[in-house]
Amino acid sequence: MSIEASQGSLFLEELDRKWAEHNKALQMIRDILMYMDRTFIPSTHKTPVHELGLNLWRDNIVHTMKIQMRLKDTLLELVQRERGGEVINRGLMRNVVKMLMDLGSSVYQEDFEKPFLVVSADFYRGESQLFIECCDCGEYLKKAEKRLNEEIERVSHYLDAKSEVKITNVVEKEMIESQMNRLVHMENSGLINMLMDDKYEDLGRMYNLFRRVPNGLSLIRDVMTSHIREMGKQLVTDPERLKDPVDFVQRLLDVRDKHDKIINLAFNNDKMFQNALNSSFEYFINLNSRSPEFMSLFVDDKLRKGLKGVSEEDVEIVLDKVMMLFRYLQEKDIFEKYYKQHLAKRLLSNKSVSEDAERSLILKLKTECGYQFTSKLEGMFTDMKTSDDTMKGFYAAMGHELGDGPTLGVHVLTTGSWPTQSTTTCNLPSEILNVCCKFKAYYLGTHSGRRLTWQTNMGSADIKATFGRGQKHELNVSTYQMCVLMLFNNRDGLSYREIEQATEIPSLDLKRCLQSLACARGKNVLRKEPMSKDIGEDDTFFFNDKFASKFYKVKIGTVVAQKESEPEKQETRQKVEEDRKPQIEAAIVRIMKARRVLDHNNIVAEVTKQLQLRFLPNPVVIKKRIESLIEREFLERDKEDRKLYRYLA
Amino acid sequence: MKKEDTVKLISAEGFEFIIDKNAAMVSQTIRNMLTSPGGFAETEHREVTFPEISTPILEKICQYFYWSLQYASGKETEFYIEPELTLELMMAANYLHT
Repeated sequence: MSIEASQGSLFLEELDRKWAEHNKALQMIRDILMYMDRTFIPSTHKTPVHELGLNLWRDNIVHTMKIQMRLKDTLLELVQRERGGEVINRGLMRNVVKMLMDLGSSVYQEDFEKPFLVVSADFYRGESQLFIECCDCGEYLKKAEKRLNEEIERVSHYLDAKSEVKITNVVEKEMIESQMNRLVHMENSGLINMLMDDKYEDLGRMYNLFRRVPNGLSLIRDVMTSHIREMGKQLVTDPERLKDPVDFVQRLLDVRDKHDKIINLAFNNDKMFQNALNSSFEYFINLNSRSPEFMSLFVDDKLRKGLKGVSEEDVEIVLDKVMMLFRYLQEKDIFEKYYKQHLAKRLLSNKSVSEDAERSLILKLKTECGYQFTSKLEGMFTDMKTSDDTMKGFYAAMGHELGDGPTLGVHVLTTGSWPTQSTTTCNLPSEILNVCCKFKAYYLGTHSGRRLTWQTNMGSADIKATFGRGQKHELNVSTYQMCVLMLFNNRDGLSYREIEQATEIPSLDLKRCLQSLACARGKNVLRKEPMSKDIGEDDTFFFNDKFASKFYKVKIGTVVAQKESEPEKQETRQKVEEDRKPQIEAAIVRIMKARRVLDHNNIVAEVTKQLQLRFLPNPVVIKKRIESLIEREFLERDKEDRKLYRYLA
Repeated sequence: MKKEDTVKLISAEGFEFIIDKNAAMVSQTIRNMLTSPGGFAETEHREVTFPEISTPILEKICQYFYWSLQYASGKETEFYIEPELTLELMMAANYLHT
């Protein structure tokens, strides 16, 4: 036969030509025998003409010993040559493969597809070995992607569409799955390096390829999570970072932005990765117990000065980002505590840049944690507003009596809404005291049944001073500093003890305010003897005649929100712990009221669930609260089962 | 109408019906005859001879082709068949595979 006799590459062409002839003849025969095909064959269960023709071709041509092997080898060799970069006659390939498919899917599978897959697997196994030895991760992925696309293209050009899944599976298995771990952990170019160098393209490629194999994405996710955790842990526990809270939070935000962008650009915004990112942040932010404090400081910094000249939308973006970090915090009540303190300082010293920004942040906190969380913060704003009105009323009513005395500005603060202070008042200078008394009389006259106490540690004052060579300056100082300075109206030199006696300012605060008055460069309104950085109990202070400044207005180191010192931190923590007790109790009572009877573990679980929006209660503390409630006869233990608690109404 | 779009059907008595190719192709048999790649005479000359079908029956069949096209386009009408033609018509329909 001519097909068997044909040489080399002509073999396929000859086969194709003969097949075309056979096909045409077969169709003619079928058309001539059409009526028989339709009426006679079904009723006698014979093979239809066309099928019969195909079977004959299959058995007599394709499945003869010599042709079957040769056909298979020729096809595989052509595919192999194409993989090697040669151009082959795709039209011919398509015709021959189509012939196999026409002969029935089993012929196609047995004679071509199966051996094709086996050979491909061998080929890619070898190639992946070769690549992994000599390429870095990014390059390897590029090659793998190229191969995969080639195979898909090959299928669309001349193979059965059903083969696509099978051949891509082979490539995935050999080129990706088997090398997956090695790729991800590859030194200097693996996943972690890609993450660090923001290689969006490579990461995207990795995502798309690994998505095809089982466990591929979870491998990426796990490695990424542990990387972020490790990095975050270093960040939050690095003692260097703790020195600058603003920078600390900014870095956290940067890390988050970076990975958010990676997930967005490279990982198709995959939910799985977003969750992984969130959980890693939650993990390491809470490793550092000062995170809530630092975040509040960051917001404080932004609202004081960071947002000047920034458009409203940008403000929103910054605040939104902070809220994102806030969501990760477990101890939200600590954040609230600090935020309240910082907000109070901002409001009282008029340092807030934008009230809109303040309000928008509070609104965000409200949507996040509910009304309870922000009611006090909102109360602070209301207090500021009513105080303004009160002051207007005061001056309208009393203005003529006051004459030329100092102008007083009072903020009436509701106890409870504002962070509580120890109310150690200092001795105000007599001029001020006079006005204060008048205000007190006026206020109590309009609002009966209230009590006013002066929070001298939170105020500020603008005073005019004349120095040695007659130059005048307006000094912007705190109330304490004002008290100290007023003493120098009468005398030029005072010892530390004299000042302490005259003002009765708590010694820690006094030292601080003297330091800012005497030791700050360019703002040393006072002169100290002996000259040194620190304030000693035996120092003496003099009015600094030689004080000079370029500016008319001089701002003297107001107490800026700073990182708390260790004892202050302890104190705040204790206060928070104290505040948590009634909240835990309230939660227990709420739960028991609804359930009547509940065992210990369930109570702990429920309480944790109810309070996790604000903080993570410690089971030991919950137990103590339950005991306290039993003592106060809100609850009792069940008489038979000691683990059960019963609600007593 | 272009000549290429028509087909000539010839009855046993030699009557010629020239109809739309589309209409004729309602019959599966005629369709195969006209579209076969085998290069049959019918395909070349667009002429089909039915030595087994008499003139009145073939006429009825042509009417049916047009009715069927119309029916396929959505209009519902009755197709009337005279009772005396029924038997022969059914045999023809079987042959023509309509």
